[in-house]
Amino acid sequence: MPAQVLGENEQLKVEDLVVRFYTYEGIVKAVEKAKLTLMKGETLGVVGETGSGKSVTALTIMALTPTPGKVEGGHIYFKGTTGETVDVLSLKEAGLLKIRGKEISMIFQEPNAALDPLFKVGDQIAEAILAHRLPEMLEKANQLKKEKANNSSFLKSLPILRNRSRDKLLQQVVRKEILELLRLMEISDPERVIDAYPHELSGGMQQRIVIATALACSPTLLLADEPTTNLDVTVQAQILDLITRLKRRFGSSIIYITHDMGVIAEICDRVAVMYAGSVVEVAPVLEIFKTPLHPYTKALLESIPRPGSSFKSIPGTVPNLVTPPSGCRFHPRCYHAMEKCSREIPELKEISKGHCVACFLYGDA
Amino acid sequence: MPKNRLWNSEHPRIKELVFVLRKLKASPLSIAGLSIVLLFTFLAILAPVLAPTQPDRDPYIMPREGYASTPKPPNTEHLFGTTEGQYDLYYGVIWGTRSAYRIGVLVVAVSAIIGIAVGSLAGYFKGLIDEVLMRLTDIILAFPGLILAMALVVAFGRGLDSITLAIILVGWPSYARLVRGEFLKVTSEDFVEAAKAIGCSDFRVIIKHVIPNTIFPLIIMASLDIGSIVLTAAALSFLGLGADPGYSDWGQIISLSRNWITGAPGNPFAYWHTFIIPGIFLFLFVIGWNLLGDALRDVLDPMIRRR
Amino acid sequence: MKPILVTKDLKKYFPIRGGLLGTRKGEVKAVDNVNLAIMKGETFGLVGESGCGKTTYGKTIIRLLKPDSGRIFFNSDGSLPEDPSDELNQFDIAGLTRGKLKSLRRNMQIVYQNPSTSLNPRMLVKDIVAEPLIIHKICKGEEAEKRVLALFEDVGLASEHLRRYPHEFSGGQRQRIAIARALITHPKFIVLDEPTSSVDVSVRASLLQLFKELQQKMGLTYLFISHDLSVVEALCDRVAVMYLGKVVEVAGSEELFDNPLHPYTKALFSAIPIADPKTKRKRIILKGEPPSPANPPAGCRFHPRCSQAMDVCRSEEPKLREVKPKHMVACHLY
Repeated sequence: MPAQVLGENEQLKVEDLVVRFYTYEGIVKAVEKAKLTLMKGETLGVVGETGSGKSVTALTIMALTPTPGKVEGGHIYFKGTTGETVDVLSLKEAGLLKIRGKEISMIFQEPNAALDPLFKVGDQIAEAILAHRLPEMLEKANQLKKEKANNSSFLKSLPILRNRSRDKLLQQVVRKEILELLRLMEISDPERVIDAYPHELSGGMQQRIVIATALACSPTLLLADEPTTNLDVTVQAQILDLITRLKRRFGSSIIYITHDMGVIAEICDRVAVMYAGSVVEVAPVLEIFKTPLHPYTKALLESIPRPGSSFKSIPGTVPNLVTPPSGCRFHPRCYHAMEKCSREIPELKEISKGHCVACFLYGDA
Repeated sequence: MPKNRLWNSEHPRIKELVFVLRKLKASPLSIAGLSIVLLFTFLAILAPVLAPTQPDRDPYIMPREGYASTPKPPNTEHLFGTTEGQYDLYYGVIWGTRSAYRIGVLVVAVSAIIGIAVGSLAGYFKGLIDEVLMRLTDIILAFPGLILAMALVVAFGRGLDSITLAIILVGWPSYARLVRGEFLKVTSEDFVEAAKAIGCSDFRVIIKHVIPNTIFPLIIMASLDIGSIVLTAAALSFLGLGADPGYSDWGQIISLSRNWITGAPGNPFAYWHTFIIPGIFLFLFVIGWNLLGDALRDVLDPMIRRR
Repeated sequence: MKPILVTKDLKKYFPIRGGLLGTRKGEVKAVDNVNLAIMKGETFGLVGESGCGKTTYGKTIIRLLKPDSGRIFFNSDGSLPEDPSDELNQFDIAGLTRGKLKSLRRNMQIVYQNPSTSLNPRMLVKDIVAEPLIIHKICKGEEAEKRVLALFEDVGLASEHLRRYPHEFSGGQRQRIAIARALITHPKFIVLDEPTSSVDVSVRASLLQLFKELQQKMGLTYLFISHDLSVVEALCDRVAVMYLGKVVEVAGSEELFDNPLHPYTKALFSAIPIADPKTKRKRIILKGEPPSPANPPAGCRFHPRCSQAMDVCRSEEPKLREVKPKHMVACHLY
């Protein structure tokens, strides 16, 4: 693994990712040579609509491509806390287990689907903690035991009961950790919430639990797949606020997937726009709103409803990914389509500093 | 597959059928199931051709050659041999296919109809109607099926019709429960409320909107059930509660072999043909329908999910 | 403009059943004493968050649900007085049953949020859209098909779409099918229950444009329920804000978004993310969780989360009053 694949400040690089789904209707070319780069500590927004491939890409970063999907090409280079660069797609199960939940965590769109309805919420967070931080917790438990050693009875030192008392202490230690985590999530009554079942909590609360589980092991990279889309707008405001504050505290980088340009404007540093399986534009957030280059990005920004003006939509529909259009996948809906666009696929090229576009209108392609 | 117009038809219902058949082709087990079922269907249809009947005799009674009790092994005259009382085994198992289908299809059809009627009322109107009907099904389901069926047959008097009626009465609650569950699920969907919003009467909503969406699980249950129904009927016949001896019914034929299962001294398999042959027919029939039912479930479920 | 639909003291409660025998343990006061007047030909927006009762209100006024008390005055000619006296019984649809209810359905329709679940997956599209014609015995067979085709043109579908199943269409197209079904009997009043929430952003605009065109062409009145405030601001003429079963503010769309008066409305609007990274909105973060509609706080329902709550707010419920021309608020501050 060449150590220089990732630059000094780069945390994640998705290179020419290809994911295909083998369904009855045919082969769905969901992700076609997608390219993404994530810097350390930044929030990268990924915008796209149905069929853009954004969710599939995020899941593939954790090597959780849903069946019947298969990764058919590309690399996903990731540099975690160990400083070592790995290609996630080449890792085996053992290596992946070390990464998932610990280095890379994910929060999903439907909080009540991400939480197991049969278990108390505290137990689910504990599961994450015990999976990755067991030695640390055991250490704390042992310390606690030493402090209590002077008061322990003869009975408790018997071998049979020694483990039980050790487990009880472990429970205490983990519970304290979880309560701390819940307080960090700005949950005002963590004692009640830790023993609650998911259905007893509101949507916003459930999403906080999901975030708590994701952050339990201080991951370096947090993947957020439309985490606030299904929440009320005031709750969304609270959660966005929370995520921003947590990011500062934990120092994680975030890939935030959404279709809401307003949310992008609020919390993202850089933005990547995806259409029909490939990344069509990447730019810092100010620039993408001020000077969008790709016709799709422009059309997307124009379709945001504004009072007083008429509603502008993008003509046509999202292409069928079993038989996608030849060349640039957006060309059937593009006002500026040229003859070249139906023949060749434009590459993602850097036009100005930090601003890349995949379009034949720009640069000498 | 020939690429003729029918196969590529644009008609939506035909497209569905083609989709189901194509998926069935995919797995060897489902092909096996389908083949077995088709084979038995042909046997049942062609019974008069394969085992010709005698005029003015009930075709379901097996022809007998003499009255000796010892069964004769398969020979050139009797393809499968004879059972106790010299009944022709070949004739019996062929016509037994018809008996099996008669019982199976009749029981499934009537149970399904009763089940739909009860389950739809319970699942659609909920409340008190649901409670009362479900307690009724609970009462019936509390009894072990075979025992209850036996008791009913004894009460009705023996015979294949009694068996049919008994199994229907024991079996309809399962269908009712299934239909009720599906109804509860479907009636919570938006399109049912939308149908009411455009002014559909309750009756129309049930018939046109809910039932077509609950039919698939019912089909699956029915095809998985035929096997066990025929098996139960055979068990009851074997116990002597079915048709009279000599009737072409697999269970009844096996009951004729009761005294000969242990064979002759020194040769335990001397009379194997009396129970193994009808047993094989029964076994294959049940397995065939079970495999087909499984295959249908695998096909129809993803189709529902696909939508 | 005169009202086409007026609700007076409308109440819809849902019983909470629990325990062994399913006894009534309490009630979810989904819609609690709502008084609103919707003018003929306008697009009336109803906003609020989950649990505020807006969807319940929408379904109750078209009598998909039976109200527990209160009156719903509906006159498709749009000639109701602004404050109907209780004597106008012939227009009160709150207590209607079977027969009259069915004929009401020709005039009042609803378009649901999720087009994937609001269309019968086992019916052909042409049957879905033609069904209202058959139920109301307007026409059938070929005549019905002709009407369906004519309406298809208006909503942007084609004749080859007739003999297909809903799952063969995209989300936006399915919503158009649902719209066609709602419009086939030429109703005068349509409840749009979050019709663009389940659809892609780029398709949203085309659907909104369609709503506008159809309104002008067919003289429709819309009740537009949504939690997407930017859409409401762009499409609606007047807007009402609901919180926990009650209306807290009503005003013209421009006036409401420029000068929100109720503290909840202010917090709600401040929470909308703006699609412009340069403007940093001063956000009013509400404290606490939205309370459950089964156990609403006493007095003003918003007082536990309100930064400007006064003593009177805890005990007395504020009434909806006109504090500026055509701008009504239910708040003790005014």
